Amino acid sequence: MKAGSEKGYSVFFLHGSPARTFSTIMTFLIIGLAAGVYVWYSRVGNDPTPDSIVGYAFAFSGTTFLILAAVGFSMSRRSRKRVIGGLNGALHWHIAFAFIGLSLLFLHSFGNFNPRTGTYALYGMIALVISGFIGRTFDRLMPRLIAKEARKALTEQGEDRIESITRKLQSVVVHNTREELRAFTATPDVMVASGGRQNTTVVAPEPGKQRGGNSSQERQPQGDSAAALPTSWDLAYISLEETPQELGSDPQYRFVPDRKSALARPGALIPGAQEHMVSLQLVENALEREQFYRYIIRYWRIFHITLALTTIGLTLWHIEYALQLLIPVWLHH
Amino acid sequence: MPKPGPVLLHKTGSQVTQEIRACIGCNECLLACPALAEPITIDVLNYETISGSISPPVARFARECYQCGACVSPCPVGLHRDSMMMWLKVRLLRSEREE
Repeated sequence: MKAGSEKGYSVFFLHGSPARTFSTIMTFLIIGLAAGVYVWYSRVGNDPTPDSIVGYAFAFSGTTFLILAAVGFSMSRRSRKRVIGGLNGALHWHIAFAFIGLSLLFLHSFGNFNPRTGTYALYGMIALVISGFIGRTFDRLMPRLIAKEARKALTEQGEDRIESITRKLQSVVVHNTREELRAFTATPDVMVASGGRQNTTVVAPEPGKQRGGNSSQERQPQGDSAAALPTSWDLAYISLEETPQELGSDPQYRFVPDRKSALARPGALIPGAQEHMVSLQLVENALEREQFYRYIIRYWRIFHITLALTTIGLTLWHIEYALQLLIPVWLHH
Repeated sequence: MPKPGPVLLHKTGSQVTQEIRACIGCNECLLACPALAEPITIDVLNYETISGSISPPVARFARECYQCGACVSPCPVGLHRDSMMMWLKVRLLRSEREE
């Protein structure tokens, strides 16, 4: 796989776009301006409270910015008139408006956190902005982690690794099954071999001798071909002659592996398969992790939307509480 | 609201190639993408997804893509641009190792 001019996928990448730069500058500018007004009014003003003129100004402008943050991005997503990169700009403004709105509403409190409704609404907004910040961090981290897991699940040629391992595993099993059959049928006589794979004792009868040599010509050739060819399913090919087991006096086939032999080890009959099984397990774990990371991305978004709805509810509750206090005052004036 | 129960995101190379061949180049996926900050043509993106070198704008787009899936539903032929972007990310990761 070649990647000529651009390589690598670092976590700490930062690509500046005009929308990102402009929205960041505007965020700092507005928050700085609001902080300046706050400091000035706290020193000069005679009523630095949430229900002062400046307090209201912070409240209305903060609420407007939060409404813009909430509605702007959703409207852009649903808009029919779209341009390439337009949604990205809307996303940056969504983040900028959220930060500005939260800052202005925080200043609106003037350090007065007594009214519960307002405090809860502020907590909701803080949680919402933090969840958005964490969500953006996840948006940066999770796709990279998913890509890492996907890389484990794919071969260098881009094939499915599970399929590739399964194919190899299947060929190993087929090969070893043939080897096993060969070990059984290689010699009809008593065979005591030593060492490694042949470290077994196979006691086999000699059907030809039992039947007085009549069937010596009918006996199938032993070895690879005999072991490899399966018995035909067709009944016409089934011999009506007695099998060695039916003769009664014959000793049965016995496979007695030596306890010290390597063959007694589990999985010894399929060497190489164990490694494939392990790598299969690794790929399966990678797939599970990939799915888990996707769950995080999706459910964090659901969590953020739920938090936004909760914050809207708390804000409306606070507005209703504030109006209960303010409307009599306005009517009295 | 996103649908619960995500499935695996990645596809094999042959599946990605198949999807790119089926792309009609309507640009709907790029218009719906909130991660794309600079103009990229769908032809360039398709070409660089499966072969050749990855140009800086396409690489930036691949890194910025956060797999939200907004590109999937507008596709008139039902392709999975998010899987293609994941393939591009895997290519970038591999190139990191080569580096």
